[in-house]
Amino acid sequence: MTNKFQRRSSPQTTAAANGLVGASNVSSTPSTQPRKRVKRCCRNFVTFMCTQVGVGALIVIYAICGAFAFQHIERQFVDDTPTQVGHLRGNCSQLLWNITENLNLIDKSAWVNATNDALRIYQAQIASLIKDGGYVGRTPIEIWSFPAALMFCLSVITMIGYGNMVPRTPWGKGFTVIYATFGIPLYILYFLNMGRVLARSFKFVYRSMHDCTQEGNYDRRLEALENGGGGSLGTLTLRKKIIVPSTACLWVIMFYILTGTIMFANWEKWSFLNSFYFCMTSLCKIGFGDFVPGASLTTAAEVTAATEKLREEINFDSKELTKLHSLAADQHSKLAINFIYMLLGMGLVAMCRNLMREEVRVKLKEMKEDAKLCMDDTRLRFVGCCGAGPQDRYEKRRYYE
Amino acid sequence: MSSRRSSVRRSRKEKPAFDRFKSHCRHFTAFMFSNVGIILLVTFYTIGGAFIFQGIEIFEYEKLKLNSTQNVNFSADCLTRIWQLTSENISFYDHQAYRKRVNDVLLEYQKQIVDKQLNGSHVEQWSFSGAFLYSLTVITTIGYGNITPRSEWGKLVTILYAIIGMPLFLLYLSNIGDVLAKSFKWIYSKVCLCRICPGVAKRRILRERSKMRRLAKAMYDMENVRSSYSTSTSSTTNSSSDNTKNSLQTSSVVDMPFSESDSDIEREIRGNTDEITVPVTVCIFVMVSYILWGALLFGRWEEWNYLDGSYFCFISLSSIGFGDLVPGDKVITADKDKVEVSFILCAVYLLLGMALIAMCFNLMQEEVVHNIRAIKRGFKACFRCYSS
Repeated sequence: MTNKFQRRSSPQTTAAANGLVGASNVSSTPSTQPRKRVKRCCRNFVTFMCTQVGVGALIVIYAICGAFAFQHIERQFVDDTPTQVGHLRGNCSQLLWNITENLNLIDKSAWVNATNDALRIYQAQIASLIKDGGYVGRTPIEIWSFPAALMFCLSVITMIGYGNMVPRTPWGKGFTVIYATFGIPLYILYFLNMGRVLARSFKFVYRSMHDCTQEGNYDRRLEALENGGGGSLGTLTLRKKIIVPSTACLWVIMFYILTGTIMFANWEKWSFLNSFYFCMTSLCKIGFGDFVPGASLTTAAEVTAATEKLREEINFDSKELTKLHSLAADQHSKLAINFIYMLLGMGLVAMCRNLMREEVRVKLKEMKEDAKLCMDDTRLRFVGCCGAGPQDRYEKRRYYE
Repeated sequence: MSSRRSSVRRSRKEKPAFDRFKSHCRHFTAFMFSNVGIILLVTFYTIGGAFIFQGIEIFEYEKLKLNSTQNVNFSADCLTRIWQLTSENISFYDHQAYRKRVNDVLLEYQKQIVDKQLNGSHVEQWSFSGAFLYSLTVITTIGYGNITPRSEWGKLVTILYAIIGMPLFLLYLSNIGDVLAKSFKWIYSKVCLCRICPGVAKRRILRERSKMRRLAKAMYDMENVRSSYSTSTSSTTNSSSDNTKNSLQTSSVVDMPFSESDSDIEREIRGNTDEITVPVTVCIFVMVSYILWGALLFGRWEEWNYLDGSYFCFISLSSIGFGDLVPGDKVITADKDKVEVSFILCAVYLLLGMALIAMCFNLMQEEVVHNIRAIKRGFKACFRCYSS
């Protein structure tokens, strides 16, 4: 519904803008008044913003602003589950110590039984904390790193919603709602704009290729046109719009998904099926969140811990340190590429939607005409076969005429 | 023509079997694409998907359980490690050091537990209601992700299921959205514009007409002045033709409302509802009230507070679907065959809510297009003034 609205409204606005420009060109011979200049500046700004570049830039800026805001809000969340878990762990180790002191390692089976019980209780406690308290094993500062927050914003405005990281504070929840109400229309604008532009360019490429391959045919048709023989037919075929077949769109999309599959499989060490599944669910905007590329970003915190550990050790290897650093840098670039992959992928999906809709419309029209012809044919045949009396047939013919 | 033909056919009883079959087919497809058909189709598609996913996941889980007997047992592993540690360190019996070591082992154990809990296979989640909600979240592209397929076949089938199901759901949205928009418009015209009681409506129409007339008169005067200008100055043919058209229009507008008979008003009262545009604020109000109502409903079941409830409803209906808040035990029963009333209500809430949002977008689009057209007209008039 929204799509329809956007599609219908935006040409009108551009038309209105064009009208404005035309009118101002007529009227503004000595446009030295500052007010008019400001007005024109505003108008130019608006038209630029409504173009593809503007909308894309707007999306990126909106996402970045949102990322900062969410980072700011969510890092204030006081997560007391880690301290609770720490307490539980301390209790458990104390219990184990007590057990060891009491049973004294002489009776192994008794010790094993007692320890097993203690461990089971500990496991149950942790499980309940995970389920009810939302314990994920990381602090908010570790979770809400900037690239991760950026991915979160993107997942909100594109309606994917991975859910691997969610706002926990009430302010964060409220802000998510507000952010989505403004972000989703913006994203839909981007989707439609991008779809239109990509569809147009894809059609252009397809048409030029089509012309190249069919040049001989084209010349022959031109000759036929000049000769006059079958001229009307030639013009008809020439004028017929070339419509990109849906298979071409599907090939493009399949190629894009395969690229993504190979890319993510290599980076994240997923199997190809998992990677394919991730690409499909993301581009379909389902976004289960069981596979998320940023999820190995846990390493971002772990990398720093590992570097500290390495530094503490006596024989620390400088090679390993650089390796870890490059890993951390890699994570950021990967997230950025993932961001671009998603945005472009959505644009491609929009393009395919545009092209396929066009094709379906043409096909439907053809089908309707075919059906009409078929109906006429059957009617004629019916009249021919079953119209028994000559008088009746005569009447029918008169009717048709 | 057609009636005549059919009468001929009926009288002779010679309708061929093929034609009859064709007409049956046509009726069938027409029904299927009608509103009832599409609702049934979506429902059955979801139920079928639920059974398929349930079967696949449970089957794969059983197979996995049979195959992998050497399943990693974290707690046993942890136990042996602690035993080793204790037996090694028994010689120097230092409380603090021992606790620190044990703590490290426990930390690792805890990480494993967290991983298993967050990514583990929860086969008990694939009850019928859980699987139904899963297939619903696939085709509506909500995708909570609280239940995800673990097996390879489950993933492949999910992809196929989504490819077929999403266009179906879009069809559902557009159809039901249209129907809802039409009926909402009708209700709005009857209730809010008081077309039920004729007295109020009559007065309102009279008021509007007087307003219109005043406006038209002003326009007409302006037009007169401008036409005199344009005749004096050599204007382009385009604008002059425009002017004449406009003046014709305005004159007709001025002439028209003078005929103020009762029958005319009656006709307008009873007139078609297509011309009415529902204001944007009403649409927004409907959406917000639907979300708040959902918050109330889910808040009672799940004991969420209002913020959490409305957050859940918004995230669900905007098809973001984080999955941090999901309908819990009261909605998705672990029991395989039991279906709760609250579960049905939840599914209906989601399906209806999506259609309602589609409806609101339909109405808002109409309103916005209407407004933009008016603004455009205003701009045009303005600039014509300037240029003349």
